[in-house]
Amino acid sequence: MTEVTKTVDYPVLIIGAGVAGMTVATELADSGIKAILVERQLTAGGNALDLYRAFPTDDCFYCFEGNRWRPGIRKCFYRSALIDQPNLDLRIGTTVHSISGRPGQFLVTLRSAPQYVDPKKCTLCGVCIEVSKAFSFPSPQCQPQCVVFNPALEDDRAKEAAQKCPTNAIDLDAKPREDSLTVSDIVIAAGYHEMKPSSIDEYGYGRIPDVVTQLEFAKILDPNGPSGGAVVRPSDGKPARRVMMVQCVGSRDENHYPYCSKICCVFALKHAVVAARERDCSQVLVVYMDIRTYDRHERYYREARESGVDFIRGRVSRVEAGKDGGVDVTVYDSLLDRYLRFSLDLLVLSSALEPAEGFSDLLKMVGLSASRGYVTPLDIATEEEVVVGAGVYACGAALGPAEVPESVTQARAVVMKILAGRR
Amino acid sequence: MAETDTKPRIPVTLIEPIDMSRLDPSFREEIRSMPDADELSACFACSTCTAACPIANQWLYKPHQLIRMILLGMREEVLNSKEIWECLTCFQCQERCPQKVRVTDILFDCKNLAAERGIVPEKIVALAKELVDKGQLYVVTADWEREDLGLEPSVPGLSTEAVKSILQGTRTGRLTKGGD
Ligand SMILES: Cc1cc2nc3c(=O)[nH]c(=O)nc-3n(C[C@H](O)[C@H](O)[C@H](O)COP(=O)(O)OP(=O)(O)OC[C@H]3O[C@@H](n4cnc5c(N)ncnc54)[C@H](O)[C@@H]3O)c2cc1C
Ligand code: SF4
Ligand code: SF4
Ligand code: SF4
Ligand code: SF4
Repeated sequence: MTEVTKTVDYPVLIIGAGVAGMTVATELADSGIKAILVERQLTAGGNALDLYRAFPTDDCFYCFEGNRWRPGIRKCFYRSALIDQPNLDLRIGTTVHSISGRPGQFLVTLRSAPQYVDPKKCTLCGVCIEVSKAFSFPSPQCQPQCVVFNPALEDDRAKEAAQKCPTNAIDLDAKPREDSLTVSDIVIAAGYHEMKPSSIDEYGYGRIPDVVTQLEFAKILDPNGPSGGAVVRPSDGKPARRVMMVQCVGSRDENHYPYCSKICCVFALKHAVVAARERDCSQVLVVYMDIRTYDRHERYYREARESGVDFIRGRVSRVEAGKDGGVDVTVYDSLLDRYLRFSLDLLVLSSALEPAEGFSDLLKMVGLSASRGYVTPLDIATEEEVVVGAGVYACGAALGPAEVPESVTQARAVVMKILAGRR
Repeated sequence: MAETDTKPRIPVTLIEPIDMSRLDPSFREEIRSMPDADELSACFACSTCTAACPIANQWLYKPHQLIRMILLGMREEVLNSKEIWECLTCFQCQERCPQKVRVTDILFDCKNLAAERGIVPEKIVALAKELVDKGQLYVVTADWEREDLGLEPSVPGLSTEAVKSILQGTRTGRLTKGGD
């Protein structure tokens, strides 16, 4: 073995602080490499923040078995690492404005929204929230653990709140920031977005209030959510006892997304089991054309059947608002060859997982183009599925619909690649 | 082996399966080469078309089954079915098919193939005869209706002669003369 030949001091830029981006950033930082983690929302965590409970461990997604050994607040290592690891620079409310230069030496400009509340000072005492509506606490899992100020909701009392803050954490005159910096590598971890299926007329989404998506249903099931975990109808808050799910909404559909979104069967079954076993639901139905519980997830399918979930092989004919709230649904059962009519409280659509908003613009900045909306590996035949360009990597749902363990595995592959490149 | 050949055959099942060797695999290609049927084999049997159809509950063969039958080569059953003629041509199946199979257009293709062979329901022939004979389907039968509306008794400028003579030269014309 020869001596170490090269040292690169430039940091690595990671775009998107979902599970994938957080994993890359913390593991690079732990290995002594400076990581700049850019997140356009005001909290890190991405889509997983809203999942309530995650397969395959039925645990909070932060706390997968493999992460338990890490020290941190409660069991969650990301909470401390994102803030306390000195090599990790988390920039919330930030987007990438431009990228130029070459691999090993990319020049990037970042634009950050004004930081009205200093996360290092905020103690979550709650005083500002009591005084002014413009302050809120995004989620118990939010990271940094800090209230946010929404200037659009600014009222007369915002100034008073700022004055009353015991730690002087609030600066209402904060200005937006623009930074230019040089980075060695770029990691695209921009994740996915759950399609809002309002364009698919027949399901009534956006027209009938008791038609929701799976991600919206996850919030209803979440004990930390607005209904305290009770399954209720959005229209009137009454208990929802009869729930139907519809698979492949906008996925496997040439008019929307031709691909299978891969994980919606599994999370629908996860939700169906929770609704049937742990909530007050008397009837849980899943309308499907194929159930695709790949590799180890078949057990959710069996568990769902054992929990009394009914499966209907067929498609939805008509959806109408019910007379006393809820939804009336006609389904064609293709195995029975009959049309079935249901009165339901809630219709949950397993809507397609599409690329994050603005994803193709982001790819353009690094000279890549999207295929099926997502980014594809440079060479699909090799094992290097996370390498998407020279000095550019991708992981998690930015590569296409993926579950959390898969996103984390890909993130670790990116870390290995970057570490290997620096030897 | 020769020994077993001589023994009477014990049926494997008590149901009589469709003998695949008696179906016509070229039917699929024939339909596929017709207008707007090129996506035929993209069908993945989801049954959305049937879920969408406002009349299929009355049918023995549902839209997705007709597509399936075409793919399997059930030429006789499809071309002799009443369903292809009862289709309302509302296009809802075609509109909603996630694989862009042009279901309604394919049913049209089936009707054309059936008509080529003279398999047309009597009522349809009667309609065609009306059209060829009168040059229009809806003839004004009660001129008092027009009078009530303050209109002259016959439709002004209505000329059906050209339509009649064109139709006579078409397959519709030939069909009404007893087919060819
Ligand atoms: C209803 C539902 C249930 C699910 N249940 C499970 C489950 O039980 N188990 C499981 O393993 N998986 C589950 N998943 C999948 C899980 O959500 C994903 O695997 C995971 O969130 C992917 O993480 P990610 O980091 O790749 O992407 P994301 O979580 O989407 O994170 C991407 C981040 O990037 C940010 N971003 C995007 N674009 C930009 C930009 N241009 N600039 C800056 N930041 C940007 C976003 O704001 C976001 O924070 C579920 C998904 C759904 C829809
Ligand atoms: S008053 Fe200050 S410390 Fe308390 S929650 Fe608000 S910003 Fe945080
Ligand atoms: S995972 Fe299931 S619901 Fe999702 S697109 Fe694939 S088959 Fe349809
Ligand atoms: S909707 Fe399309 S893909 Fe589905 S069964 Fe009908 S023809 Fe086939
Ligand atoms: S076009 Fe014909 S087959 Fe298609 S939905 Fe309408 S009636 Fe049914």
